[in-house]
Amino acid sequence: MRKEETKLLNEKTIEENVLTSRDYKYGFYTEIETDRIPKGLNEDTIRTISQKKNEPGWMLEWRLKAYRHWLTMKEPHWANFRYGPIDYQGVSYYSAPKKAGQGPKSIEEVDPELRKAFEKLGIPLGEQKRLTGVAVDAVFDSVSVGTTHQTELAKQGIIFCSMSEAIARHGDLVKKYMGSVVPYSDNFFAALNAAVFSDGSFCYIPKGVKCPLELSTYFRINAAESGQFERTLIVAEEGSCVSYLEGCTAPMRDENQLHAAVVELIALDNAQIKYSTVQNWYSGDKEGRGGIYNFVTKRGKCLGRRSKISWTQVEAGAAITWKYPSCILQGDDSVGEFYSVALTNHRMQADTGTKMIHIGKRTTSTIISKGISTDESNNNYRGLVKIMPSAERARNFSQCDSMLVGNKCSANTFPYIEVRNSTATLEHEASTSRINAEQVFYLKSRGLDMEAAISLIINGFCKEVFNELPMEFAVEAVRLLQMKLEGSVG
Amino acid sequence: MTDTMIAPTEKNSLFMEQLDTLAGPLKGEKSPGWVARLREEGLTRFRKTGIPTVKDEEWKYTNLSALAGHRYTPAGKSALSPAQRKDVRARYCGEADVNIVFVNGTPDKELSNFGKPPTGVEIMTLSDALTNNAAAVQEIWAHYDPQKDSAFVALNKALTREGIYIHIKDKIIANQLVHILHVTQADGEQIATFPHAFIRLGKSSEASILETHVGLNDENIYLADPLTDVFLEENATLHYSKAQKESLRAYHVGTTRVWQKRDSTFNGFSLAAGASIARNNLDVVINGEGAAAFLNGLYSVYKDQHVDNHTSVDHRVPNATSNQLYKGVLNDAARAVFNGKIFVQPIAQQTNSYQLNKNLVLGKECQVDTKPQLEIFADDVKCTHGATIGQLNEDEIFYLQARGVPRKIAARLLTQGFVDDILNRLTRDSVREQAARMVAPSLEVLEG
Repeated sequence: MRKEETKLLNEKTIEENVLTSRDYKYGFYTEIETDRIPKGLNEDTIRTISQKKNEPGWMLEWRLKAYRHWLTMKEPHWANFRYGPIDYQGVSYYSAPKKAGQGPKSIEEVDPELRKAFEKLGIPLGEQKRLTGVAVDAVFDSVSVGTTHQTELAKQGIIFCSMSEAIARHGDLVKKYMGSVVPYSDNFFAALNAAVFSDGSFCYIPKGVKCPLELSTYFRINAAESGQFERTLIVAEEGSCVSYLEGCTAPMRDENQLHAAVVELIALDNAQIKYSTVQNWYSGDKEGRGGIYNFVTKRGKCLGRRSKISWTQVEAGAAITWKYPSCILQGDDSVGEFYSVALTNHRMQADTGTKMIHIGKRTTSTIISKGISTDESNNNYRGLVKIMPSAERARNFSQCDSMLVGNKCSANTFPYIEVRNSTATLEHEASTSRINAEQVFYLKSRGLDMEAAISLIINGFCKEVFNELPMEFAVEAVRLLQMKLEGSVG
Repeated sequence: MTDTMIAPTEKNSLFMEQLDTLAGPLKGEKSPGWVARLREEGLTRFRKTGIPTVKDEEWKYTNLSALAGHRYTPAGKSALSPAQRKDVRARYCGEADVNIVFVNGTPDKELSNFGKPPTGVEIMTLSDALTNNAAAVQEIWAHYDPQKDSAFVALNKALTREGIYIHIKDKIIANQLVHILHVTQADGEQIATFPHAFIRLGKSSEASILETHVGLNDENIYLADPLTDVFLEENATLHYSKAQKESLRAYHVGTTRVWQKRDSTFNGFSLAAGASIARNNLDVVINGEGAAAFLNGLYSVYKDQHVDNHTSVDHRVPNATSNQLYKGVLNDAARAVFNGKIFVQPIAQQTNSYQLNKNLVLGKECQVDTKPQLEIFADDVKCTHGATIGQLNEDEIFYLQARGVPRKIAARLLTQGFVDDILNRLTRDSVREQAARMVAPSLEVLEG
């Protein structure tokens, strides 16, 4: 009986794999008048971007320094995937909705077309129709079009605004922290981002404040032949606490668009930052045409003692995902966490994982990574746990599990463990397998159909990670996974 | 990286300059034309790769600049004193075993006793095999794609002078242990040896082979670059152990390549206890359904030793299993590297593959780098890997102390338990006892 079941599952998977999966529901394009600069990248492009944003001189200097450094760097190719050459001159580095205007504005002034676009994405920007308990900064192509709840947050001294606004109004803070975690010389894409970044979000949580709302940024790529290069900076002062969410979508196109973002988190003494991502960029069609290249540098620094940074990510989109949200555990007793679900289908390629750098004494880190690959996709976990000589009694636990659905996909694990202090204790475990045929049989014998059964099993497989997501996002993530898996599995 | 990167130029060039000297004795030898061609191939390949640096992903954690910084001479004649001979015979040559002894890379007739091998077993030195059985040697020697040879495999190919050819014929169960022993004793000169062993097991045959590398004087500096090629025909079973206890200042870079056909079993064990820098590559290709590979390993190092184990299991067909367990004990300022790769090719459905690496870190300045790696292209598989790095359990030490066992002895006992877990997997008593003797010095420091 069991053998037959296995066989059935085998056949069905292959058969169902041929079926088309459901359309990408965020693939629409919004007709909107844009203000964009011509394609190409040179020092003048950077000057134009800086000028458009009325930036102070130091910012432009920094951008130019980054650009000059970028010119000396080579595009890295060590990751386990293939893609054609990227034409850095064929991209427009700034594209903004015209009516978005310059500088800060109130949410009511946002162009109705734009507001409609975000409503379609499920992100109402009007204060009345707000998502309960979530403050949103909406980034459309190169600029932030509006931030909700600013006044409410300001009462507690919390700064939550677009990066352009922060540079204009809170220059000192930005100057102090920007580039302190991810310097422009860090890597090829970080240098590119430092040179041309157009917007992003900035959060500052003052001493002892527990942020009453979930802060969130929604990234939308709309224009063709453009890229999105945003920078997010979150600073949590002593004893403060914040939860931040990030979501992203883009229209369906046959070209590949580059998204090279940088995220920097800084946690001081006893501060806690929780950063969650639900990434659903357009991933290309079945033949692998189009989709976003998601090359992102995300890093958090636990600067203070007993500080904590927690990354949770659900990676369900993008043609290529290449990111390693990392923690530098510098303060004694600081904690780093990484929870990830990466689902790849069609011909998506993902090379993702984390880096935990233990510097402080008694620092601990946890890594839970779940990879699911279907169709002809390629899913890689690549992680580094490094215990520096100063990290007395550091502790790490890592678990990375992969599930394979269909026989044309692949799953790889590349964990690097480097221990320079002998008092450290580390555990690492990983497994790769297919969906358990017995579990499927059990569920089917109780009346669930194949799809529901598999969906349920995968949900259980990812439970540990979903539990880390804020409530609304967890529901969204489950739905997203279900949608992606539909038609992918029998 | 805190390690100092070496510029590939300077120190490497010193080593490259020596290639002609090291190849010197090979000139004028009367070997078949294809051997000369293979040597040339190896040399060309090595000149291309050079001595790998830490920039090479395969050598990320092992810096060979010390190895490359010496001047080596080709291995010479055996130079053992009668007392040393007696010692070697007593310590390593079992009376019941078939002993094949090399001293400084040269076969030593007096210590060896393979003149009359058991029925169905062919044993001959490489030079004899090239005269009497060239076709069989050629088949194995030219089996792998030379373009994929690693630097030290290519170097061995280019410079090997002696070795051994062992053939167990079809349906022969060889009960006697075949022991290949490499002894190095070279006071006053720094020699380099490149032995190549060919092991072929015929259909449904079974054999136990032990390959030992020892240095008699812990002050000797030398380079050992051995290569062992194992071919297992259908349903063959090989119990193969490699035990290495080179001089504490020597360099050992060894490779074992295993090619498995249908239903064959490779039961491997690898012990690394000696050498200043030891690197052991074990590459298994599973090319027949129903085959099984067991790769067990133990490394126990102290002082400033560096040990690096790289394993690779390539599942190319469905329905095969592989199982790896590598354990390590580190003391003082020793450093260990483990890299285990499991490849499951697209057609290799129903593969079961396990890998576990456990490190017990006892010294204050030890370093461990481990990278268990899975690359899986088939869906109906079960693969797991794990790695742990930790210290002795304080509760267990307390338990023993509460029963009157002094702390140092308690630590020794618990470490012994950790080691015995893997040693007890060796079924042959003589092999297990020898392995235990080799590990002992690095564990004795616990009591000191």
